Amino acid sequence: MRNFIFFIRRFFNLILFLTLEVMCIVMIERTNTLQGNDIVSSANAVSGLVYKKQNDVVYYFGLRRMNDSLQNENARLRQIIEQYRSLDTLSDSLVKTKTQVGDTAKHIVRYAEYVYRTARVINNSVNATDNFITINRGSRHGIGKNMAVLSGSGVVGRVEHVSANYSSILSVLSAKQRVSARLKNIANGFVVWEGKNPRVLTMIDVPQQVEVKKGDSVFTNSYSLYFPPEVLIGTVIKTEPIKKNAMQHIYLKSSTDFANLQYVYVVENKMRQEKTQLEDSSIKK
Amino acid sequence: MNVYLKNILRFCIIVSLQVLILNKITLRWWSEPSGFPVFIPYIYPLFILLLPFETPVWALLVSGFVLGATVDSFGNTAGMHACATVLIAYLRTNVLSALLPRNLSEYSGLQPSTKNMGWMPFLVYSAFLIILHHLLFFSVELWNLSNIGQLLLKTAASAATSMLFIIVYLLLFTKQDNSRF
Repeated sequence: MRNFIFFIRRFFNLILFLTLEVMCIVMIERTNTLQGNDIVSSANAVSGLVYKKQNDVVYYFGLRRMNDSLQNENARLRQIIEQYRSLDTLSDSLVKTKTQVGDTAKHIVRYAEYVYRTARVINNSVNATDNFITINRGSRHGIGKNMAVLSGSGVVGRVEHVSANYSSILSVLSAKQRVSARLKNIANGFVVWEGKNPRVLTMIDVPQQVEVKKGDSVFTNSYSLYFPPEVLIGTVIKTEPIKKNAMQHIYLKSSTDFANLQYVYVVENKMRQEKTQLEDSSIKK
Repeated sequence: MNVYLKNILRFCIIVSLQVLILNKITLRWWSEPSGFPVFIPYIYPLFILLLPFETPVWALLVSGFVLGATVDSFGNTAGMHACATVLIAYLRTNVLSALLPRNLSEYSGLQPSTKNMGWMPFLVYSAFLIILHHLLFFSVELWNLSNIGQLLLKTAASAATSMLFIIVYLLLFTKQDNSRF
């Protein structure tokens, strides 16, 4: 026993060092596997508040850029409304004839599948392997884990940690995240980030015979559990064939400028629980 | 000023410098055209480097862990900074006693600085520990050896910029000896 105490006293520093390192590694490992620990994340009350105070100061410097991006978004939305308006008049005439034949359209219940909430970006990074964004909305405002996050121009990421007033978002610029994507109705694949340039994303799992032109747009598809379909991800810069599996890598310029985010939309998918339940139950059988 | 108060104040200054200013600098103006990885300098290990000579190792380790965990909580890196900072806190005493001509216990009441050690020994001491810190941090962050080139490139670029910022910090915050004038 005396020897044991002597041993501990002699190697106390080494033991403390190893204990602390093991603690760090456990912390890192937990965030990689589980949904993460909420205390050591920028969603906690203290760092959230610090970032909020800082953002209150620097917020005004970005107003002009933000105004421009909102203008662009408005213009795009107006264009989409115009498209739907012309479509509606067409379908009205169709419906009229259909109701006389037999009421098949009656069973379609219209619902709002996605709920959009706005949030302000109070902290942002593009330099790490896994980049996080902190926003000034939390569980008090209805934000939950795994909700999709979009900007006015495209995909941003997915909510990872939530506290009462703040939440942190794992952005698409991360090794942990892949977004299922669609290229011009002809090919599906995944969009990942290779960790170098924050403006360049990579689309993988596209067969080589798919012809891709520079400037083609890539959208999210309806397979994704998190993201609503038809959201722009990026436009094609160049392609690179992979010899060993007859696939090609498509490099995209991301539609969102991650370094200059000001406002984001947090999108809640009301049907997600039902969809995952159904898929899980069919896997079990 | 009381040595505890002084160090707590320095902790706050260095962490807020790191978190509110340096974390926001993404040096993209020259990294954009080529595939050069985006990086930022990390000056917060300077707090560990500047603690007084007679600080016991356990206190160094605990303060290193607290410092790293604080920076982690701001950057969503969960333990990566803490891991690297605890390592340099553990090695600090050995590096210092290797570099200094006299025994460490003879420097009571002093802290490592350019004035007490001279520029060259202090730069060697800080550069060695900073490079070690960055190497461990980036290897934990990337966590695969397949792109070891990128790891070394990122470490070198980040460590060089960190040293630059540390020299600027030292020039700004070291009390100048004005007795000659």
